Amino acid sequence: MELFLHYLTMPYLLWGIVFTIEVTVLGLLGGLVLGVVLAAMQLSRFKALAMLARGYTIIFRGTPLILQLVFAYDALPHLGLKLSALAAAGLALAANEAPFIAEIVRAGVRSVDRGQVLAGEALGMRPFTLMRHVVSPQAIRFMVPAFGNETISALKNSSLASVIAVQELTLRSTQLASSTFDFFSIFFASGLMYLALTGAVAAAQLMAEVMLDLDHPTPQARFARLMPWRRVAAEEPVMPADGEPPTETDVPSQAPPHLAVDRAKRVERLADAAAAVEIFRLRKTYGRQLVLNDLSLTVRLGEVVALLGPSGSGKSTLLRCINHIEEWDAGTIRVTGRRLGFDAAGRALGPKAVADERARVGVGMVFQQFNLFAHLTAKENIAGPLRWVHGMPADKAERRAIELLERVGLAHRADALPRHMSGGQQQRVAIARAVAPGPNVLLLDEPTSALDPELVSEVLDVIRRLAVEEGLTMIISTHQLRFAEEVADRVLFLAGGSIVEEGPAQEILSRPKNTRTRRFLQIMGASEAV
Amino acid sequence: MTEAKTRTRQATLGTAAAAGMLAAQIAAAAGLSVTGAAAAAPAAPAGCAALRDKYPELNGKTLVNAINPHTPGYEALDPNDPSKYIGFDIDLGETIGECLGFTLTYKPVTFAALLTTLSAGQADIVISDIYATQERAKAADFITYSKVFDGVLVAKGNLKKIDGINMSMCGTTAAENTGYVEVPLIQDLAPKCEAEGKPKPEIQLYDNNANCIQAILAGRADVYINDVNTVDQAVKAYPDQLEKATAVTLPYSVGIAVPRGNTKFRDAVLAALTEIQKAGIETDLLKKWSLDAGTLEAPKILSVD
Repeated sequence: MELFLHYLTMPYLLWGIVFTIEVTVLGLLGGLVLGVVLAAMQLSRFKALAMLARGYTIIFRGTPLILQLVFAYDALPHLGLKLSALAAAGLALAANEAPFIAEIVRAGVRSVDRGQVLAGEALGMRPFTLMRHVVSPQAIRFMVPAFGNETISALKNSSLASVIAVQELTLRSTQLASSTFDFFSIFFASGLMYLALTGAVAAAQLMAEVMLDLDHPTPQARFARLMPWRRVAAEEPVMPADGEPPTETDVPSQAPPHLAVDRAKRVERLADAAAAVEIFRLRKTYGRQLVLNDLSLTVRLGEVVALLGPSGSGKSTLLRCINHIEEWDAGTIRVTGRRLGFDAAGRALGPKAVADERARVGVGMVFQQFNLFAHLTAKENIAGPLRWVHGMPADKAERRAIELLERVGLAHRADALPRHMSGGQQQRVAIARAVAPGPNVLLLDEPTSALDPELVSEVLDVIRRLAVEEGLTMIISTHQLRFAEEVADRVLFLAGGSIVEEGPAQEILSRPKNTRTRRFLQIMGASEAV
Repeated sequence: MTEAKTRTRQATLGTAAAAGMLAAQIAAAAGLSVTGAAAAAPAAPAGCAALRDKYPELNGKTLVNAINPHTPGYEALDPNDPSKYIGFDIDLGETIGECLGFTLTYKPVTFAALLTTLSAGQADIVISDIYATQERAKAADFITYSKVFDGVLVAKGNLKKIDGINMSMCGTTAAENTGYVEVPLIQDLAPKCEAEGKPKPEIQLYDNNANCIQAILAGRADVYINDVNTVDQAVKAYPDQLEKATAVTLPYSVGIAVPRGNTKFRDAVLAALTEIQKAGIETDLLKKWSLDAGTLEAPKILSVD
């Protein structure tokens, strides 16, 4: 015991810890930089880069660290690069950590719901903006435990640097044991030193997890949660508002306007309006399946078009092609006269240029699954993209967000996270987000299909008011026949990738000519009546 | 017998008056306690001044000595001050350095990595109780200075009755360091054992001397064959658990390794070592570190170039 304490406090061994930490830090930081690069290469759309990164991963993940250390130390000098022992150890550890960290980063990035990425793209975010504001913050939260693991493993792996004469803890312990023959007291002492180091890493990981935990918004609450005795108490009050059923008074409800009276006027006005969306002979296949079959369509400014049709008829694909978050095989699409995603000569633009054009042309999109940014409050979901994409000053973006939340009846949930809101509330925020930049066209992809029946009406109310009050051009794919009849100027019936019937809403819905339309309306009508 | 002869020969060698006085000093220092290597390194013999003139490029230089510091007596940490290395090889190296005007820093590596570290240029010289063999001469040039005697270390009682690198080792397990010359010698026993219908000896490979000794202590291995002085040190550290079964001669010499092709440096070390041996300093150092079983030879060069 006395010997053990002697070695535990021996400056020679304690200084060894400094080298151990130096090697670990070099390895982790280098590995982090290289790992992010590798992950980016693997996630990139350039095949050659991905292959290169794969090759690196295969080699450096597939060979033992000890060989890599010896290589960096003894082989590199033959190639003219003579690194110090510490630098060689740092290099080898970094090279070895990189593929592991790359996989953690890749897993983190992929853990972020694809829908949120689509929503970000639809809002006109450049790939980097999307990565920085949407993907990274969520991915990092996911990656913390794996990073904690990796740090501890790097710390222990640093002991292998003893084979290339780095004076770290393990080398010092083994040499000391050889000269004193006090094998066990020395190794117990150095073992305890390693435990203290790894324990500190584990504590840091735990802290990071708590700090990044979105369910504990205040720093005090986050720290309190670290204390075991506070845990039970702190877990209890999870957002009291969460349990409250969304009251219908949320939405300033008004009687639906008597559209019938205005209908004639609207038709007249629309006939003169400029084209908002022009689609010419759009064709798209998934493998051998034809999804859009030479589809042509013109939507006028201010017009509300409802897309009806069975699942798989191409409604969603059509909407996604309009703001070019989906590629197609042939045909052209113009939004307010511009070919979104192509330059004047008709060449396809890169992702960054497409994003900028999406923001400029102004095509908002609302998704079936809401796709709110899960780590941001309702207010930030709206204000964030205004700042990042449109460069709006923070205070102005905030005012706009609050104003829109008021209009969708959710001012009181401005600071709530998406997961603490009902589906209906989330979709109302999503609509506010899509409308915030003042788009020319709003695309709504089955906006109520993922909602419980009792939440459908609050969302439809919001859409209805946008159509009437804002005069927004909207293309809505929906199964809500009554809603379509009430709001849409025109109804299109899609089947097999083609428009099989179109016309004024009331006409199509009450007197369908096409047999497929008729059959579909019968089924839908029956289910809607239930 | 051999030891007595060696001692008398060494005594006749140490004739120079100055060196004799030094030897007394060293003996006194060694008797008191193991002090720092630098302090104990004796002053250079008279012939060294001429060598410094002949090899001026070494004067004032700092060279890196790669060592496997797990062999108390030859090279190990100073238990009283772990920031220093001490032992016969350390003293010898520093004396050579003093003679030629260079100083040494140390790079601790595994035994198997001694020569690779040298040929990678990560070290300039290896003075670490390494035996000069034809095989190893492919990686480095050697300046030899002492015959090899090996001790056979076994657990107290020598239950397996091992008495050398011979048929008594059939069916036993030997602990050795990776890269030791004893490894192929033991491996060569296998066909002979099998010819007699006995099981062949097994070899466990470790990274350093201390791990080999631990293998015997833990009962994992039956025998560890290494430099006789190293074996004696181990027996001294664990007198109740270990014993030296016997000593054997091996057809090798202990050498200092230097990079191949650098004949000037090699010749300088050879010349310095000759001066040091002539002045009796090497003998004194052997005594200081209780390495009486070594047998000095006139320094020679082993090179395949």
